[in-house]
Amino acid sequence: MTVAAGIGYALLALGPSLALFVTVISKKPFLILTVLSSTLLWLVSLIVLSGFWRPFLPLNSAASWPFAVLIITSVAFQEGLRLLFWKVYKRLEDMLDAFADRVSKPRLYPTDKMLIALAGGLGHGAAHAVFFCLSVLTPAFGPATFFTDQCSQIPFFLVSSIIALAFATIHTFSMVIAFNGYSEGNKVDQLFVPVVHLVAGMVTLINFTTGGCSIGIPILYIIAILTLLHCGKMVWGKLTENQIRL
Amino acid sequence: MGFSSFIVLLFLGGEIALFLIRKFSVPIDCFTFLVLLFNFAAVGVFAVFLSKMAIIVTQGYLVAIGMLVAYWFTLLPEWTTWVLLVALALYDLAAVLLPVGPLRLLVELAISRDEDIPALVYEARPVINHDQGSGEYEGQRRAWRRRRELGNDSESDHNIGTSDAEVTAPLIQNRVSSVVDGQESSVASTDNSFLEGIGLGSSGAIKLGLGDFIFYSVLVGRAAMYDFMTVYACYLAIIAGLGVTLMLLALYQQALPALPVSIAFGVLFYFLTRLLLEEFVVQCSLNLVMF
Repeated sequence: MTVAAGIGYALLALGPSLALFVTVISKKPFLILTVLSSTLLWLVSLIVLSGFWRPFLPLNSAASWPFAVLIITSVAFQEGLRLLFWKVYKRLEDMLDAFADRVSKPRLYPTDKMLIALAGGLGHGAAHAVFFCLSVLTPAFGPATFFTDQCSQIPFFLVSSIIALAFATIHTFSMVIAFNGYSEGNKVDQLFVPVVHLVAGMVTLINFTTGGCSIGIPILYIIAILTLLHCGKMVWGKLTENQIRL
Repeated sequence: MGFSSFIVLLFLGGEIALFLIRKFSVPIDCFTFLVLLFNFAAVGVFAVFLSKMAIIVTQGYLVAIGMLVAYWFTLLPEWTTWVLLVALALYDLAAVLLPVGPLRLLVELAISRDEDIPALVYEARPVINHDQGSGEYEGQRRAWRRRRELGNDSESDHNIGTSDAEVTAPLIQNRVSSVVDGQESSVASTDNSFLEGIGLGSSGAIKLGLGDFIFYSVLVGRAAMYDFMTVYACYLAIIAGLGVTLMLLALYQQALPALPVSIAFGVLFYFLTRLLLEEFVVQCSLNLVMF
């Protein structure tokens, strides 16, 4: 609608991620690199998916089941890549620990590992917000706005920013949960993340029906808050158990 | 080198300033404008020439020169720009790595004459973590010297007239090569220097030739003329290419061209994004279906 509105939408989607970045991540160069590489990984996964789906596009936007298939394949692929990211991170962790031993510095603390996981998740979340929300936001900086049929109460840009915020939260914290689950072999955590991702993706399908976004978006936020709470509980448990061990 | 920076800042910078003044109707008169522009250009020449200025001023002016040249390069037609970028990446690869390559000969000549390599080089001073011990200082100097080789050889002739073999402050090149040799014997594995370089251990000043900056900017500028999605994709691609180049530098410990990998990734990602990704993402987000 104007430059102010455009900036507002962008900050709505990316504000918390930016805050996290500035306070936590910008202090350590390694975390910045982690954010960039996980953003790149997400972009590559998106390109591969779009390469796969390109012959089938444009999809008939009346029917919702092609989108369901699209979401299922995309989420499956991205979760597979998360596992790959974990394997690469494990190897990197061994290298870093060996290096730390060589210069007789302390090894990676659990908080360091969780910070790296947070940085990875932030990269994914920021990439999601950038590619799904910011890249279509350019018209919002002009004089007019745009409404879609399915969600005619609020401007399209606002809806997409709100959804992007929810997904950024989900991505950021589910990476922490996932890494913790893989490192401890905790099956519940390991399954929690793909399930949450899939459910969140499917919930956006509700947006297809007219007026569906007034149901879909609150559910999405409930999922995001659930992820946040689960992550908080897990991190708190990890921190307090370490305190007792020390 | 100084004269060419002066020309870039004065004429190219002046043109862009005139565009902006016309667009935003800034109330300024000719004479004030000329005085300000001349001062800006003159300070810029001193900033890139002498190393006595505050580093932020030098960095600012180098970025300004890079931006100005890149802006004018984006006025080329689209296909010309892409072919030019790919051709330059290939030339850079050939010029630095082949034994008869001009840039390699230049570097070897400079090393044998014990002179500094003439180039506009952007130096990124690192943020030093205060909670790291002073024992890192040794590694800091090592990493800095190693990086010098990357920056100096990615200087390219494509800069407007910056490749005149002008002698500036003599770099003690012997020390560079001997430190590099010493480094190879003392460093057990490449992980060590790699990790030092990425700022986990100590940090060193990274030097990147301004020619590389300019062509990265041209690539991203051209991508911006299509859509924002291509900008983000190309930005990430260039950063990834830079990371790969730095890792290769840590691996091979010799002069490497900085253009080819980044330009290759950038061009690849641009075309993939434009042809494949955009349709996919716009379809999804217009229907508010996201994952």
